Amino acid sequence: MTRERVGSLIFLFFGIYGLVFSLGIPFGSWKRPGPGVFPLSLSILLSISGILWFIVGKRKGGGEKRTEWRKFIKQFTTSFQIAVATAAFILLLNRVGYLLTSTLYLLVLFLWVCRYRLWAATGLAFCLGVGSWLFFGKLLDVQLPQGLFPL
Amino acid sequence: MDVLTNLYHGFHTALTLNNIYLCFIGCLWGTIIGVLPGIGPMAGIILLIPATYGLDATSAIIMLAGIYYGAMYGGSTTSILMNIPGESASIVTCFDGYQMTQKGRGGAALFVAAWGSWIGGILSLIGLMILAPSLANFAMKFGPPEMFAVLLIAFVLLGSLGRDSFFKSMPMIFLGLFLGTVGMDQMTGYLRFTHGIRELYDGIGFMPVAMGAMGVGEVLSSTEESLVRIVHRVRLRELLPTRQELRASWGPIFRGSGLGFVIGLLPGSAHVLASFVSYLVEKRVAKNPEEFGTGRIEGVAGPETANNAASGGAMIPFLGMGIPTSPATAVMMFALIIHGIRPGPLFISEQPRIFWGLIASMCIGNVILIILNLPLVGIFVNLLRIPFRVLFPMILLICLVGTYSVNYNTFDLGVLFAFGVLGYVFRKIKFDIAPFVLAMLLGPLVEEALRLSLMRSGGSFSIFWNHRIALTLIISSCLLFLWNIYRGIRPSKATWERALQEGEG
Repeated sequence: MTRERVGSLIFLFFGIYGLVFSLGIPFGSWKRPGPGVFPLSLSILLSISGILWFIVGKRKGGGEKRTEWRKFIKQFTTSFQIAVATAAFILLLNRVGYLLTSTLYLLVLFLWVCRYRLWAATGLAFCLGVGSWLFFGKLLDVQLPQGLFPL
Repeated sequence: MDVLTNLYHGFHTALTLNNIYLCFIGCLWGTIIGVLPGIGPMAGIILLIPATYGLDATSAIIMLAGIYYGAMYGGSTTSILMNIPGESASIVTCFDGYQMTQKGRGGAALFVAAWGSWIGGILSLIGLMILAPSLANFAMKFGPPEMFAVLLIAFVLLGSLGRDSFFKSMPMIFLGLFLGTVGMDQMTGYLRFTHGIRELYDGIGFMPVAMGAMGVGEVLSSTEESLVRIVHRVRLRELLPTRQELRASWGPIFRGSGLGFVIGLLPGSAHVLASFVSYLVEKRVAKNPEEFGTGRIEGVAGPETANNAASGGAMIPFLGMGIPTSPATAVMMFALIIHGIRPGPLFISEQPRIFWGLIASMCIGNVILIILNLPLVGIFVNLLRIPFRVLFPMILLICLVGTYSVNYNTFDLGVLFAFGVLGYVFRKIKFDIAPFVLAMLLGPLVEEALRLSLMRSGGSFSIFWNHRIALTLIISSCLLFLWNIYRGIRPSKATWERALQEGEG
């Protein structure tokens, strides 16, 4: 799987999605173009781009070696960890509240991703979590979710 | 005289304690952003947008603009002292700047970079003062056909001059334009691609997309790089260049100012392009071009001046016509929209306080920056000792809170997450995300211009060739488009030589 093919799949996905759903949007007439014309045109252009890049990707990947999947997956470990932690932050934010969620989020990142020792990770997470709450919530007056512990 | 009167009023606006303080904050933050590799000026501006909610529009844009041109100053510090570009526009500075550090002339390189940036900044401001109002007056004659044509050529130029090849940039532009159609159609009220999700009625939201694709995506890919940082110390007394070095840098500084300003007008990676072109020009005009790359002061003075002068140039289409030509100016435009102001041809005449206040603050900001970047350079160098693994969790948290604070809505955080992953994927597969972000912001304008043009002409495309400006721009776009296609598919010189050799054999 070359880079070009991955790109082509993304373009094809949006192109086909756009084609399918914009056919249901009114096109109007040349005198009064409707809301469907622009998205349909772009979907066609995206689909063509996707097909062309798929062909380019196929030509480039012709002589490539067999992918070493373990090595390939390993390079995404850090990003995957950060993505999982971020997703958990988003899901818990309104339920648990900003102060606790942000501190836990930072703790997970410092401990799991950055591999700090427990005491260092806890200290950093607490200071930065509380500090960000004070900065955004009190100084900038951003209405942060209170959650379980209204303060 | 009109310009001078307006400038006087501009200084009257900018020289309040509050605005000077905000200009300082913007310049300081911009310098920090420029010094730290892994965060670009766009991400830096986005991170401070929540801090502008309680400010008026003038103060907000003064602070955000400070970040923009401040980052250009700061980017040279790491290039010169560590051979790591703080910004992509400072890549070229590494070639000779770091070599000068190796020879013990790092301080002189920093001085000339800051000095050149200051001169380039001031000269480009003068150009901005003269050209922006003229362009705005000219643009007031624009109707929908001219607007469509300008945006069309802007997109083709963005594809041609961007970091990636034309064939990589154009699909990214199409994708951005397509995602810009999500939400309620402005002309008919029809809901497109919302699937019953109420939060999508106003569109996907530029802030979570920009924050996700450029901010979160950049952090995710930066965490995979392990950088060994050797930081060279520079003492204050080592900052002064010799007379010979100063004399040698004047020519590149003035040439860089002109080049940077003109290139800044173009959409795409103007700062990067300006610094590269300046370097090539200096190498071309030098008596001993083979010495470039070994520590020539001209190799630092020209590019650093050019990338700062490009900031002034980039402000002209943004403020004069409401067309941002870079991701950073796109975010500044978004910040102005949040404050209820939309830059366009009428912006300068309807909001003179903001425009001239901004110009005056940029003069003040350039003075602040030369103070920050010379005697205080040691402080910024120490920032580089902070491990990125301490910084990135804070950057992510700021991105999350910043996005949440726009609508107080976790849906926006979901969008941020999705586009953060998408931005990361695009970085891994080496597709530049900047054209996508710009296209998403400008897409609704293109569509509106096209549809209004067709409505006015009763469905006939002849409206585009009946308007001379639109016709000229559309023909130029088509020629440029065809030229890029030809450049992409013609055989390379090596292929020709191989074919000739095979023919002879």
